[in-house]
Amino acid sequence: MIAESHKRELSAGQLAVVLLLPIALVNVVGFILPILNLARYSFNRARIGGGIEDVFTWENWVDLVSDPFYREILFNSIWVSLCITLVTLVLSYPIALYLHRATGPWKTFLTVLVISPLLTSAVVRTYGWIALLNDNGPVIGIIKALGLPSPSLMFNIKGVFIGLAEILMPYMILALLAGFGRLDPRVEEAARTLGATPARTFREIILPLTLPGIALGCLLCFVLAVSSFITPKLMGGGRVFLLATEIYDQAIVTLNWPRAATLSLLVLIVFGAALWAYSAVMRRLD
Amino acid sequence: MAMSSAREEHLRLEGVGVSFGTVNVIPSLDLSVPKGEMVALLGPSGCGKTTTLRTIAGLNKPSKGKIIVGGRDITHVPIHERDMGLVFQSYALFPHMNVLENVKFGLRMRNVPSREAESRARQALEMVQLAHLAHRKPRELSGGQQQRVALARALVIEPSILLLDEPLSNLDAKLRDEMRGQIRSLQQQLGITAVLVTHDQVEALSMCDRVVVMRSGHIEQSGTPTEVYERPATAFVANFVGRTNKLKGTVAADGSLMGLGQVLHAASKPGPGTVDILIRPHRIHVSDGDGAGDAENRVRGEVSNVTFVGDLVQYTVSVAGDEIVVEESTRRGQKMLSTGETVTLAWSAEDTLVFPENQT
Repeated sequence: MIAESHKRELSAGQLAVVLLLPIALVNVVGFILPILNLARYSFNRARIGGGIEDVFTWENWVDLVSDPFYREILFNSIWVSLCITLVTLVLSYPIALYLHRATGPWKTFLTVLVISPLLTSAVVRTYGWIALLNDNGPVIGIIKALGLPSPSLMFNIKGVFIGLAEILMPYMILALLAGFGRLDPRVEEAARTLGATPARTFREIILPLTLPGIALGCLLCFVLAVSSFITPKLMGGGRVFLLATEIYDQAIVTLNWPRAATLSLLVLIVFGAALWAYSAVMRRLD
Repeated sequence: MAMSSAREEHLRLEGVGVSFGTVNVIPSLDLSVPKGEMVALLGPSGCGKTTTLRTIAGLNKPSKGKIIVGGRDITHVPIHERDMGLVFQSYALFPHMNVLENVKFGLRMRNVPSREAESRARQALEMVQLAHLAHRKPRELSGGQQQRVALARALVIEPSILLLDEPLSNLDAKLRDEMRGQIRSLQQQLGITAVLVTHDQVEALSMCDRVVVMRSGHIEQSGTPTEVYERPATAFVANFVGRTNKLKGTVAADGSLMGLGQVLHAASKPGPGTVDILIRPHRIHVSDGDGAGDAENRVRGEVSNVTFVGDLVQYTVSVAGDEIVVEESTRRGQKMLSTGETVTLAWSAEDTLVFPENQT
C-alpha cells in the first residue's frame, strides 16, 4: 500500500496541466488557429470571383478606417447593441428580481419558463416575430383597430430591436440572477426599518448590490447583440446594416474573404473593449 | 417589581394575530411593555417570538389587533415611519458600505445634515468601542464586531423601541457573556424600551426586566425573571426556563402528594389525579449521612453516576426506580461522592413544582 502510493503521485500543478490539456488542445485547434488564419487573410488581397491573393497589404485595414460606410457600420453596431442591451436590461431586471425572491415550486416553474425560449432556435423565434409584426400581422391589426397611427414594425431597425431584446432576455435574466448573490432580503428589511422608503431602499441598497449582476448581464447581451446575425438579417429585411450582417454579405455574397476577415477581427476588438470595460466596472465595485 | 408596574406603558399589543397563508402563527397576543424596560420574548423555535418582533417592526402585517406605541396606533404605519431600531440575528449590515456609512444610513434617511450625522455616527461607534474601525467594510470584521456595528446602527437613530432578534446567537460563548452585559448597560444608560427575542433562558433572565415565555403562538407566562424561574405557571415554563427532574406522582383525594414511593411536600399542587413533579437539580441537597437540615422532603437513594463538569458536579441518584439528577457546585478540598454510595436527597416544599400530567 505504502510502496504503491509512492509510485507515481502528481503534484497539484502537474495534475492541473494534465486536466487542462484536452480543452487547451480543442481551443488551439478550434479557436486560436482559425483566428490566426483570419488575421492572415485580413492582410491579403481579394481577387474578383472569390480568390485570395497571398500578398501582404494594409489596404483592408486602411479601407476600414477611411471608408465612411464601415465607420458607420461600426458605430451603428455598437450603438444599436448598447441600446438593445439597455432595453433588455430594463425589461429583464424586474423579472430577475421577482425570480430571486420567489421560493419553492413557483420559483422552479418560473425559472423553467424563463429558460424555455432558449430551447427553441433563434431562427424559429425570429420567424415567429415576423409573423406577428409584419404589416398585415395581428399587432399592426390591433394598432389599426384602435385607430392609432400604425408604424411599420418589420424590416427596419424597430423590428431588430423587438426581436433581439426578446431573444436576449433569457440570457440577461440568468446573468442577473447569477449576480444577485449579495442581495439578502434581511438587508433590505434593515434599510426599511432604518427609515428608507421603498424607492430609497431600491436606489441605495438593491441597485448597488445588484450591480455585479447588471454588469455581467450587459456584457453578455452586448456581446451577443454585436455578434447576432440571424435576427438582424431576417427582421432588418436587408435595410439594417450591422457588423455581423456585413461580414456575412462580404463572405457569402461578395466573396471578399479578406474584407470579411478584417471585419471579423474588428468585432473581436469590440469584444475586447467590452470585456475591458466590464472588468473596470467590477474593479470599481469591489 | 413594584417600580416597574408604576412606569408608564410604552408599547402595547392588543389581540394581535398573524397568519401566513392559511397558517395561523399567532392567534391572539396581548403584551404591554413599560417605558425604559427590556422585555424578553422567550421560547423554543417556532413559538412565534420572531414573528411577534417582526410584526412590531412592521415587517409582518398582523391579520388582526392593534399595535400601540406611546399611545399612538401604529398598526398601519409603514415600516420606514415606525422609528424602530431592529438588530437582526444575521446583523444584515450593508455589505457595500463601510462601518461609518452603515451607521450613518438611518440618519441620512431622516435627512439629518451630513456634518451632524457624521458626528452622531462616530459617537455611536465610540459607544460600542468601534470608532477605530469606521472605514472597514463589514466583511472585514469579526462576528462580534459586526454585531456591535448593527447595534450602533440601530441605536444612532434614537429609536422609540429597540428590537433585538436573537442578537447573540451567532457569537461564541465567551463573547456572548460580554455582549449580554454591554447591551444591557447601553439599554439602561439610554433608558430605551427594548424587546429581545431569544431561545436562551440565560439571556432572557440575565438581561431583561420582564420575561414573556411563549409557546406555539401564545403567552405561557409573563413575569419578572425571578417569578418565571421560581414560580413557573406551567410545566412547560418550568422545563424551558432552567432544567428540571421530571417525576410521575399522584395527588390523592385528601390532597396528599405521592411520589418516589413516599409522601412528598409541595408548596402548591393541583387537584387530585396523576401529576408531574418537577425539581431543579441544583435545588436538591445531597449528603452521605442522614441529611440534617430542615428541608421538608427527604429521600434515600444510591449514586449511579458521577459527572464532573468543572464548576459543577452532577450526580445521578436512583431512588425507588427513578433517576434523579443532582447538581452541586464544586469547591476545593470538597469530597466527591462516588458511585454506589447511599445518600440522602433533601429539598424544600417550595422547590417541588407540581403540575397536572403531560403539560410539557
